[in-house]
Amino acid sequence: MLDLAKSRWHPIAAAHDLPLRHVFHGQLLGREFAVWRADDGYVNIWENRCLHRGVRLSIGINDGRELKCQYHGWRYSNRTAGCTYIPAHPADAPARTITNRTFAAVERYGLVWSAEEPQGEVPEVAGFAEGELLALRAIPVNAPADVVAARLTGYRFQPSGYIDGSAAKVAVEASNAFSVALRSSEADASTLAVFFVQPVDSNRSVIRGVLDGEVEGAARLAVLRHHNELLSRLRVAVEAEAAREPAPAPLEPIIERVSPELAEMPEETTHGRKATIRVQVARKWPAADGIAGFELRPIKGLLPTFQPGAHIDVHLPNGLIRQYSITNGPGESDSYVIGVKLERDSKGGSTCLHETVREGDVLAISEPRNNFPLRRDALQTLFIAGGIGITPLLAMAQALNNQSLNHELHYFAQNEAQLAFPEKTSTLGASLKPHLGLTPEQTGAQLREILSGYGPDKHVYLCGPGPMLEAARSIAAEMGWPETAVHFEYFKNTNVIDDSTSFEVALARSCMTLTVPAGKTILEVMRDAGIDMPSSCEQGACGTCLATVIEGEPDHQDVYLNDAERKSGTKIMTCVSRAKSARLVLDL
Amino acid sequence: MITLYDYELSGNCYKLRLLMGMLGIEWKTVPVDFYPGREHKSDWFLKINPLGQLPVIDDDGLILRDAQAILVYLASKYDASGSWYPRDNPALLGEISQWLAFADGITGTASAARLHDALFYDFDVEAARAGAHRLFRILDEHLWFGEQEGRSWICSAAQPTIADIACFPYIMLSEEGGIPRQDYPAIRRWCDRVKRIKGFSVMSGVFPAGPAKAA
Repeated sequence: MLDLAKSRWHPIAAAHDLPLRHVFHGQLLGREFAVWRADDGYVNIWENRCLHRGVRLSIGINDGRELKCQYHGWRYSNRTAGCTYIPAHPADAPARTITNRTFAAVERYGLVWSAEEPQGEVPEVAGFAEGELLALRAIPVNAPADVVAARLTGYRFQPSGYIDGSAAKVAVEASNAFSVALRSSEADASTLAVFFVQPVDSNRSVIRGVLDGEVEGAARLAVLRHHNELLSRLRVAVEAEAAREPAPAPLEPIIERVSPELAEMPEETTHGRKATIRVQVARKWPAADGIAGFELRPIKGLLPTFQPGAHIDVHLPNGLIRQYSITNGPGESDSYVIGVKLERDSKGGSTCLHETVREGDVLAISEPRNNFPLRRDALQTLFIAGGIGITPLLAMAQALNNQSLNHELHYFAQNEAQLAFPEKTSTLGASLKPHLGLTPEQTGAQLREILSGYGPDKHVYLCGPGPMLEAARSIAAEMGWPETAVHFEYFKNTNVIDDSTSFEVALARSCMTLTVPAGKTILEVMRDAGIDMPSSCEQGACGTCLATVIEGEPDHQDVYLNDAERKSGTKIMTCVSRAKSARLVLDL
Repeated sequence: MITLYDYELSGNCYKLRLLMGMLGIEWKTVPVDFYPGREHKSDWFLKINPLGQLPVIDDDGLILRDAQAILVYLASKYDASGSWYPRDNPALLGEISQWLAFADGITGTASAARLHDALFYDFDVEAARAGAHRLFRILDEHLWFGEQEGRSWICSAAQPTIADIACFPYIMLSEEGGIPRQDYPAIRRWCDRVKRIKGFSVMSGVFPAGPAKAA
């Protein structure tokens, strides 16, 4: 019977069990759940187990957008249950495989329903009108569900409209192993009560009763107390009955490994830039003067977990592929919001999005990638955005704001009308510092002021036009900021790429030696040889196609690596950079 | 200054640390090696408390024993707001005393089970656990109906009272005695509320709550 129960929907909590910023400890058929409502109302039902050390997430902290494990502070996102931050690895983006198991959640009849392998819909109860029901106090019982359900068929109660009477007739309208519907009538009062029996474990159940018809004020409490008293009495009798039988062994739920689609390596294709996700443009609006906002919703299922700083590839109807940062705050996981600036010298990307793509259109996008991860362990974090460079920094600032971590967002723009996403930036309060209409000289002076007073555990994140980034980086260096504290992301690589050299690339793990001729990139040669290498911008800006250099001297032509990383000679962006030596050995 | 004869892992000592923290009282600690040293049964300690129990305070020469009694004293003397132990409200004082006695019941059951499991006391652990579940069922029902009536705390006051402080520690530590709280959702929500009282502090085995949603 309990095997069959896996495919059925069961109530696992009452809606009032999930106030904001609380984590409910649920269980169904031996499997424990951490159940929490995010501030956006979404009900998360997760395996009650942190993927790190197995600690119960039901003792974790619901911050309204993410659930934080009490043990080592791993944070998991609303909806997806994907890990967004690992305090012990503050500079790294958590792998996508670190995603907790989630279970279906439906709110109905004042109850929260779930199932391990749900089939069909939550049962329809004839005579139940949503919003006009009264959920009773749940009664946990140490007895098997079917024993409890059998007992409930003999439950006697007064109709809500005649609570002081004592001669109600009660008829069983329906019953099965997990629910009993009873109608009580006396005089002209009649109440339908449905009792759902939640199989918590082989020998534990919860009776969740729901009455038809709303009852107000003092009468409501009287009805609730009436049933609480009668059900408590029933509990004593059922527990005594169950105690006479030997207790069945507790159920042992199988803790599954991470889902195959997360665990498996993606399929090999010759084209490195994959767009596996279909999204619909749910909304397109002017996010600022010259900037269009796009809200992208999944066609089916959930979007993958993103972290602040992550970007997606958007595959455009005209065949072009462009990268856009996700601007969402933490836990805003039902859609991705991107901002697109109409470029005067557009090569077709921003023009297409501004002029061709409309609400309702379907686009293909890649999974989010995070090559611009945000540390959350700084004493102070400065964000310096120039124009559309606001997009990744906006996501970051919202993340720190939600955790009440010290930060400032310096936003340089020509004028107020060019400040994008005011509805998002307004939530940041005093940490938002706009700098409007400055000349390059004034910008330099302002940057100097912002970057004065470097101290340990301060970090700065920069995103904006190339010249501004160059200025900010050199000012930061002058002001004593170490490179490890200066994080930056360029929109594009404006370096003129010299691809006139020819050299040999040895792939140490693949046992392959390839020749890179003039006019071709390392990435292209590897792809021709069947090596599947992820890439995104393919111009040396985003950091996706990074490879580790074991031997040889790279000829860096990207804008992703900082000077220290370049000097170390251990990293290379395979889409634009080449070799000064005759041979490069890569850890691929 | 108040001197607290304290054992770090004692829930009864934690009650006093909790309230003193919330009231902003400073105190100094004399650690008593309850386990394994059994210092609470030593000659020097029995002179202070012939019952050989923790906690004890010494406030300028006034020596008091019994966690609940000390909560009454501290709130009466040091709580300027008068909300933790409202001396001018007889009905509420009656309620508070009722739940202070209930807290003693929690100590006698949930704490006993914890002493059995963690510090190897020779108690009937099954009886202790069953007793704790009986009390938790009563408290969960009380708190659930309290929520329905718009009441957040154990007693019918708008503010928390020392009854909340007296009941909190051994409920939070119950799992160390093999007493899960999964069946008591209203108790779990009340625990969140206690953890959000200004000045709240933790002890080993008690985890903090995140902030409530700003209104």
